[in-house]
Amino acid sequence: MVPIEYYMVLSAAVFCIGVFGILTRRNALMFLMSVELMLNAANINLVAFSFQNGNLTGQVFSLFTMALAAAEVAVGIGIILVLYRNFDDVDVTKATTMRW
Amino acid sequence: MLQTLQISGTAALAPTLVLGVTALLLLLIDSIDPEESSSALLSGVATLGSLVALAAAGAILVATGGEPQSLFQGQLVVDGMSLFFTFIFTSVTTLVTLASYDYLKEFRYKAEFYTLVMLAATGMTLMASSNSMATAFVSLELASLPSYALVAFLKNNRGSVEAGLKYFLIGALSSAVFVYGISLVYGVTGSLQFDAIASELGNTGEGLVGVLGVGILMIIGGFAFKTASVPFHWWAPEAYEGAPAPVSAFLSSASKAAGFVIAFRVFTVAFPQSTVGVDWVLAFQVLALVTMTLGNFAAATQENVKRMMAYSSIGHAGYVLIALGALTGSANQAFVLGAGMIHLVVYGFMNTGAFLFIALAEYWGVGRTFEDYNGLAKQAPVACVAMTVFLFSLAGLPIGGGFLSKFFLIAAAVEAATIGTYVLAFALVINSALSLFYYSRVVKAMWIEDPVGDFEVGGYPTGLYAAIIVAAVATFLLLPALGLFTNVAVDAAASMIQ
Repeated sequence: MVPIEYYMVLSAAVFCIGVFGILTRRNALMFLMSVELMLNAANINLVAFSFQNGNLTGQVFSLFTMALAAAEVAVGIGIILVLYRNFDDVDVTKATTMRW
Repeated sequence: MLQTLQISGTAALAPTLVLGVTALLLLLIDSIDPEESSSALLSGVATLGSLVALAAAGAILVATGGEPQSLFQGQLVVDGMSLFFTFIFTSVTTLVTLASYDYLKEFRYKAEFYTLVMLAATGMTLMASSNSMATAFVSLELASLPSYALVAFLKNNRGSVEAGLKYFLIGALSSAVFVYGISLVYGVTGSLQFDAIASELGNTGEGLVGVLGVGILMIIGGFAFKTASVPFHWWAPEAYEGAPAPVSAFLSSASKAAGFVIAFRVFTVAFPQSTVGVDWVLAFQVLALVTMTLGNFAAATQENVKRMMAYSSIGHAGYVLIALGALTGSANQAFVLGAGMIHLVVYGFMNTGAFLFIALAEYWGVGRTFEDYNGLAKQAPVACVAMTVFLFSLAGLPIGGGFLSKFFLIAAAVEAATIGTYVLAFALVINSALSLFYYSRVVKAMWIEDPVGDFEVGGYPTGLYAAIIVAAVATFLLLPALGLFTNVAVDAAASMIQ
């Protein structure tokens, strides 16, 4: 059996790649993908811990997470579409009509 | 499985069910003839639905006396706390749907707007009842996703779209952080249900406290987004400024309260300070201090009224965070939490009212800066009296409930009697004094300054006026009647802590 620490290192690495993507990418779609990586890092944890703890709660919760990630992307793509229509670009740094 | 769902049990969820059914009903009405949907009918159904939910919450509170009712094998719990917050959510929803009748007259997709508001309210009431990390996460998303769409509702307005984008991006990021935190807590405790987490925490090995601490910090991050507190507060000024003003009112009052109710429940039920071994009280003290100071100082430098109100809303999140930062061992815990709940009730009315006044100004086509409000009182004295009540109550002058609720927060912090809470009480006083400066700029502009041009207000919209006046009367009456709420709030907090 693979020790639980390996799973945690893997999920932490995936999470950090996601955070890195959010901090460096300017394309809104890349941003969505990075968020997806972070959510899936949590899913790795949930499934691994579920196996470790011997109950199914974590696995079921990871299904919830996937469904909600899909719903979030659906709303997000809609917003990115109107972003493109208004600003002719999906660059998140272009939308600056209000000052920060 | 099925036989555990008793009728008496699900009846306790009546407010949530009524809000959800109203949302579907609105879509049904709209589908009959989408081009000719009556604005009055849609607004009326939405307002009626939230009023029924409000009445149902009150009736259940009276009938059960706030006795906790566990539902769906403990995934949800209906108790005094959840009903108290359901009262806040439904009151704000009622005011917002009433005011939107005039605000939305020129727009298409009215039914969708009301549906999204109702769905978000459904999510908020579920958040108040959540008793496990799974339901907390799902209901938090149910409250958030419609809000993203609502902020970006004005599809052809660049400000609104930009606000929606920023709100969505930071929301998606913080919900990912939140889920990761949940996964770490699940790894340590092997459970998602709040009371089970608390009972497992006692058996946590020394080596796992670090993992648990990171998990708890990440969960705090998720709540910070929902309540617009540091470090996930950056979306708030943008989202509130760009969104249609009724939506700003809804988000800054109801959505903030929803974030707080789930934070109260998680940190008192799942991570009680006595067993957790991670000093989250200190984390909340720092967050409260930074949030209120940053919010108020940033508000003082604004030239745009709506943006000023957005920063003031961050400041108020900082005040309510005192309720979590003062939960030290020496504190009267029920009173500390109760003080936060009371402030959220009063804030629900006065802040919604202030944003609805801004909605009224947008309806008239008044500009957005302080100067544009010059001399408004000559043309619309009634609305300006109401706005004055809201602003002074927000600042904490004894003209509305805001004075007493701030006083309770200070008393709770001082009673906890640690250095951290003394600092918080002191910071609250200083920040309130500062806030009086920028709130009175609006009042001065309305009543004392002369108008710049010859501006005529375009009519007196019934729905907006009704909502503003109801909010003003409620804010004013909460000053003498706050004692009523205080008992309910403190009892609810006490029964949850046990």
